Amino acid sequence: MSRRIVIPSVIVFLALTTLILLLSPHNLRRVQAGFLGLISPFLHTGSNVEKKYRGFREGLKSIEQLEDENKRLLIANKEMSATNQTLRGLEAENNRLRKALGYQGRTEFTLLPARVISRDSSTWYNQIMIDRGSHDHITDDMPVLNEEGLVGKTTVVSAHSSLVVLIADETCGVAAHAEGSREQGIVRGERTHNGGGIPTVGFNFLSKLANLKPGQSVYTSGTGGVFPPGVLVGQVKDFKVGALDSYATIVPAVDLTTLEDVFVVVGHSK
Amino acid sequence: MIFFFVLLISMFLSLAVQTFIGPLPMIGARVLLMPIIMFYGSLALPTPGMLALCFCGGLMWDALHTQIVDGNVEIALGWSIMLYAVLGTLMSGFRPLFQRGRWEIHCLLSGVCTSVIVLAEYLMITFRREPVVFVFNKEIWWRIGGAGLIAMLLSPLFFFALNYLAFMVGYDPQPERRAKRAR
Repeated sequence: MSRRIVIPSVIVFLALTTLILLLSPHNLRRVQAGFLGLISPFLHTGSNVEKKYRGFREGLKSIEQLEDENKRLLIANKEMSATNQTLRGLEAENNRLRKALGYQGRTEFTLLPARVISRDSSTWYNQIMIDRGSHDHITDDMPVLNEEGLVGKTTVVSAHSSLVVLIADETCGVAAHAEGSREQGIVRGERTHNGGGIPTVGFNFLSKLANLKPGQSVYTSGTGGVFPPGVLVGQVKDFKVGALDSYATIVPAVDLTTLEDVFVVVGHSK
Repeated sequence: MIFFFVLLISMFLSLAVQTFIGPLPMIGARVLLMPIIMFYGSLALPTPGMLALCFCGGLMWDALHTQIVDGNVEIALGWSIMLYAVLGTLMSGFRPLFQRGRWEIHCLLSGVCTSVIVLAEYLMITFRREPVVFVFNKEIWWRIGGAGLIAMLLSPLFFFALNYLAFMVGYDPQPERRAKRAR
């Protein structure tokens, strides 16, 4: 090929690449949001097809199986409703007492349901994409959870979809405390998960006297302002004492590999 | 020109499709489809086309994967463009052989280059995250090597399908092979 074509094309390529490399984080978010907006209709369609296929396979159950399942779900639903009612009452009472003591009342959060439309295809990140975006009043750094516990937080938000970085990712730090102790630390994902098995997360910066036991629950502490307090993160798997501090490995309460529906904490309603 | 856009659309669709394919059980390696199409494009298109394809591929990849947490950009948007251009140029060096109708070494190379992409990503995040700790255990090597191995196995299928698509839109990526057959 003639040099008269190759050299200008190399120059244009380098100029455009340099321009892209020099983008500020704000403009980078805009480019990412634009691309998410472009790709999300395809991911929506793919996700719908996947869901229909799964629905078809599940639909092949017998009537007896469906009746049993329905019975179980009705009982579970009643139990949940009863527990929820009790907890709402306790929450209101807790807020009243906090107010009486001059503390700021704990805010109740509003949950926006969202569907996972894709799981991350990159090797080193733990992200998912959900079908809610800025049109649903979602912004960056909003906590994401499901009925089992904490999932992660939003990062890049486009009009109708958002990226959520999972708690299993190394870049997602969560201030947390262990149940039944005053120990506080930071929960952070790990780069490797022993052969692609169940992802575990690390509970760092604990005191040497923490002495956490396997099975002990870990909840968000609310420090830092991103995650609301009291959301279950997971259970302690093992505990090790280091030279200066101690460290625990936690199995997340949520199965992050099979997520389908999540809730975004969109705001606080008193 | 038409074939360039066919490849670009294929890359975009493959990027969407690969998000639905989870990591392989036990080894944790991902099935990366987009790089296979991009490497095929590096062989089938002349240098300007190859550079344009690498630019678009790198931009799409980074736009979907670059992570911004607490306002910090971990890997700048655009680094993949540079990496893809380097690997695309390497593949392009084997273009004369491809034009003669050979594809075996290109499939092998496509797998190796896919592993290089995953390795480069790993090194980049390792340097960016603190403390800098190089973890190179069996799992990490499987993720890097596994992605390349899968790409190597899928390449012949993709090369065949894309060659057929090229033929459909009237582009001949292997003109010497056709000339040889005609003789």
